[in-house]
Amino acid sequence: MSDWRRIDIDAFDPESGRLTKEDLQPPAVKPITLQELQPRIAQLRSCATSGDFVRGVKLATIDPPYGSDNDTKLQYFLAVLELLTQVRQADIAGVVQQLDQSQQEVLIKYLYKGMSLAEGQKQGGVLLSWFEKVTQKSGVNPISRFLSDRRTI
Amino acid sequence: MSQSLRPYLNAVRYSLQAALNLSNFSSQDIERHNRPEVEVVNNSAEILLQPMHIARNEHEQVLIETSVNSVRMSIKIKQADEIEQILVYRFTRFLEQRAESFYILRRVPIQGYSISFLITHRHTETMITEKLIDFIIEFMEEVDKEISEIKLFLNARARFVAEAYLGEFVY
Repeated sequence: MSDWRRIDIDAFDPESGRLTKEDLQPPAVKPITLQELQPRIAQLRSCATSGDFVRGVKLATIDPPYGSDNDTKLQYFLAVLELLTQVRQADIAGVVQQLDQSQQEVLIKYLYKGMSLAEGQKQGGVLLSWFEKVTQKSGVNPISRFLSDRRTI
Repeated sequence: MSQSLRPYLNAVRYSLQAALNLSNFSSQDIERHNRPEVEVVNNSAEILLQPMHIARNEHEQVLIETSVNSVRMSIKIKQADEIEQILVYRFTRFLEQRAESFYILRRVPIQGYSISFLITHRHTETMITEKLIDFIIEFMEEVDKEISEIKLFLNARARFVAEAYLGEFVY
């Protein structure tokens, strides 16, 4: 070991008080598998095709799969993205009006996630108009809560 | 301002308003250091907040990374062709070489972006935060115009030079 002076000894001390990403997750989050989510994804798809967007967006934002692994989250997210992009520009404000505070918060999470993925960036204009409508309704509040929330979707 | 640019800039403005809420925070690892936590390798996860991606399309994006005492904001400027790539590179490099007089400009952009800003608690204490945000939004508005203007000048000059030079060969 030539570089022993650079070893971070605090990392080996269980009582160093350092927090990892996992420590910050609230304990109540329970993992959901893709099989359990399949019916909800199907429901989202049917909402998107039948044009029942208010119910679809509410369904997507009411109980997001916080505890799942990244692959499951992505599958679920793609279904949500499909739903969000189907809504006509003029109807977005109406849908956002019917969401309560926590639902708007989850919607903002979906929008930021969408804009970080290549699939969502292609639809950047639609996601930005959703974003604009949410900020018109409740200003900067959902964004500040997004920043400090450790649960990801 | 064009119809699709407005929601983009609004989203950036709101995200910056939420992110620019900084406080003085000494390093937890090294005594008597006070460093921008977003820039250093962090051993404690609680110091960093969720990163925010804002994208108008694949070519125009903003990434805002927030920590307890600093915010790093990176902009990907639209680059449609090779000439624009060179122009954006030259333009941002010109600014970055003068980063001292811009205070919040980062000397090197982060990987995949054209230009980065680093705002620390020192900046929000000595400057008005709203004005800082206004400056960044104005910069984003102006830079696209600037690049396309430079491109037009470049083309006009190239045409003039080509005519003057090739005119010699016309009999």
